Amino acid sequence: MSARDDRPAIAGVGAYAPRLRIAAEEFVEAWGRFDAGGIEEKAVPDADEDALTMAVEAARRALAAAGREGDELAHLAFATTTPPMEEEDLTARLASMLGAPEDVSTHIATASTRAGGQALDAALDAGPWGEGVGVVAASDCPRGAPDSEREHAAGAGAGALVLAGEGPGTVTDRASHVEPYPGTRFRPAGDSETSGLGVTQYDRDAFTSALGGAVERLSSVDDAEGGPEVDAAAVQSPDGKLPYRAADALGVDTGTIAAAEAAGDLGDTGAASAFLGLARAREDGADRTLLAAYGSGAGANAFVIEAGGVPIEAALAGGEELSYAEYLRRRGEITSGEPEGGGAYVSVPSWQRTIPQRHRLVAGQCRACGALNFPPGGACSECGDPVAYDRVELSGTGTVEAATTIAQGGAPPEFVEQQSRSGDFVSAIVALDGPEGGTVSVPAQVLAGDREVAVGDEVVTTIRRVYEQEGVIRYGFKTQLAELRR
Amino acid sequence: MRDAYVIGAGQTPFGAMPAESYRSLFGTATDRAVESVPGEFDPGTVDEAVVGTLGVGGRQLGLAAPAATEHAGLGGIPCSRVENACAASGYAVRQAVQAVRSGMAEVVLAGGVEVMSDTSSDVTKYWLGVSGETEWERLTGTTFAGVYAQMASAYLDAYDATREALSRAAVKNHTNGAKNPKAHLPFECSMDDATDAPVVADPLNLYHCCPTSDGAAAVLVASENVVDEYTDDPVRVAGVGAASDRVGLFQRETYTAIPASERAAGRAYERAGVDPEDLDFAEVHDCFAIAELLAYEDLGFCDRGEAPRLLAEGVTDPDGDLPVNRSGGLKSKGHPIGATGAGQVVEAFEQLTGRAGDRQLPGASRGLTHNVGGSGGAAVVHILEREDEVEVAG
Repeated sequence: MSARDDRPAIAGVGAYAPRLRIAAEEFVEAWGRFDAGGIEEKAVPDADEDALTMAVEAARRALAAAGREGDELAHLAFATTTPPMEEEDLTARLASMLGAPEDVSTHIATASTRAGGQALDAALDAGPWGEGVGVVAASDCPRGAPDSEREHAAGAGAGALVLAGEGPGTVTDRASHVEPYPGTRFRPAGDSETSGLGVTQYDRDAFTSALGGAVERLSSVDDAEGGPEVDAAAVQSPDGKLPYRAADALGVDTGTIAAAEAAGDLGDTGAASAFLGLARAREDGADRTLLAAYGSGAGANAFVIEAGGVPIEAALAGGEELSYAEYLRRRGEITSGEPEGGGAYVSVPSWQRTIPQRHRLVAGQCRACGALNFPPGGACSECGDPVAYDRVELSGTGTVEAATTIAQGGAPPEFVEQQSRSGDFVSAIVALDGPEGGTVSVPAQVLAGDREVAVGDEVVTTIRRVYEQEGVIRYGFKTQLAELRR
Repeated sequence: MRDAYVIGAGQTPFGAMPAESYRSLFGTATDRAVESVPGEFDPGTVDEAVVGTLGVGGRQLGLAAPAATEHAGLGGIPCSRVENACAASGYAVRQAVQAVRSGMAEVVLAGGVEVMSDTSSDVTKYWLGVSGETEWERLTGTTFAGVYAQMASAYLDAYDATREALSRAAVKNHTNGAKNPKAHLPFECSMDDATDAPVVADPLNLYHCCPTSDGAAAVLVASENVVDEYTDDPVRVAGVGAASDRVGLFQRETYTAIPASERAAGRAYERAGVDPEDLDFAEVHDCFAIAELLAYEDLGFCDRGEAPRLLAEGVTDPDGDLPVNRSGGLKSKGHPIGATGAGQVVEAFEQLTGRAGDRQLPGASRGLTHNVGGSGGAAVVHILEREDEVEVAG
């Protein structure tokens, strides 16, 4: 299929990976071996991060790079093999977190690491959307059994593309391929760990055959002259070596694949893998890029993207190294879950009523005295008038006014698991800045890594898992030290 | 409006007492209060009872007052439960005073009870957080240790104060409580102990936090019409003040004061016609060490930011100008949530009637009790004085 003029352009790229990292040597020390070739270190989601929170991080950055706002969204696709809930449409919450209008068309792609490619393919067919934009966010944090090659490789990250009627980037060519290859990589119903039979040559054949099939079908590829003419090839990377085995099938040289390398320091990022490769290539200034997503089953999507001039905002650098024991804690492998005793009970309906505050910092401005109130409702905190409020969105920047580090034994039961996994946490009162001056004080955790938090420190908000109750994950804003924002 | 008097007051020991129930504790406290009345007193003359309890552990959340008073042998009288978190029984005493002053009752029993030691530490932590602002404050991972630690961080920052002041409050209260046979933690501690203890919620360590206790306390409040039938040595309720505030700390105008305490104290001083300088002692709500510092300032014992100096100079030691928490306070005497406020009145009654034994403050004729709910969502202050002093003054 060739590119048509009425297909959406690419207006921005966003990328995010958790700041926590573990080096391959940590596995060697613990296991005597490390089974994920070509991976030197990988990204590890914190206990309150998942595919949805990472998708928000990448999508917000993509929108910022493109100079667009969440309320311009007409199409929103979320691609992951690790949806935090197996059944429930998480795009509704993703749309809310991004500030999308309620008539946004949404789409979730899952079940294989090709999901990002499938979502992009569908979005290109769905758009353009007039003045509106589409966002395709691919985000993943796969897991395997602790002693498996999959777990050694398993990283985390998210990539997002903004599609719009106009933009510097163009998808000039795309094709897909499916071919039945069961058993290479799968997760049975109800399991949280991805596994595979490990039939080495069969697995490689599935990978190269599906990717090769898609690339051969690109209209710009002439069988006689070999593969696509590109600066970089962002190829699905279950580890750091397999993509190079597909070089011949893709018709590119290994240097072209290396130009879009992301697995070496982020690990296997599943459905986000090819998007993160594109982000890396774009950061290095690559123009014409092949995006080649593979999913077990098997299938592949290939895109040739003229990416020259496409703006990118990426937060892919690591910030804190974990030991293997810390890694096991972060993943909940050696923690015992929420203790008996019960947590603060906030019913789901009452939580749902506060979603505008928790997702988008919607505050109220008192019509009588102008003071900001958060959450808005009831009598004004400043003048005491039980008045109506004008709706305002806080900027997401603020200053610590009071802070404590909750040590072991100091957390309420519903936060004990978070503390077991991520360590002592900072709970603070933060003065968040209003859109036009003024501040309003809100309680918030401060993500600080190993830094101390003091009164007066600058913070920015982010979206994280707050806690889970009755099987329902509650997402909401937390803050992080501004100096840690990448 | 007619006057109200405390004619008797008593309490159980505070501590961990797995053999006791909330009913047996309340019954014992009632017995001690009845026994403390100097003259002949028939429990059947009690017109009404008010029982403060949070209900930690979820025990008898409904109809707690009839259940407790019936067991104590006061069955059949009008009674009700008062819930204002840790200020529950301070408010129960206030309601008893209201009932007596209004003329609806001649003698009212006000008390409180809590059982906190028969649940796992996780269950207890759940209950300790239920009086915080649940939807926002608690969901940043705080119980009250965390919220008071936030106040401490703001205080230390605002006044350039040090953690030493927090530890001094702990050392003083433990020194005091070591002389109280009813105290939960009746041992002395050193500055090193109180400085190097494990952190609970920075900057608060274990010695900056009160224990969770079992216990009950009861106070008999009588009208001026009948007081002479029971005692020649009456303790008059000279002033009562109470106030409330936003439940979440983040919603308040300040984190370095408890405005409800300041308002409650202002009213109590005004009604009693006295100033802080006229007090001989005070029992203040030191659930966390920072709370004692804030209390000094909220209750007008010193200017803002001066509390660390009061502690350093020993002003609030037993031999200082204004002894505070001679009982050991919540830190050493213990903190059975629903019983604490009434327990403070028990201490004041004993000090004012010369029954405080080894911890008797010489010449104590006027004292203040200060009871706070949550991190300051409710506060109640009583000023009590010996009647003979009032007559001398009059």
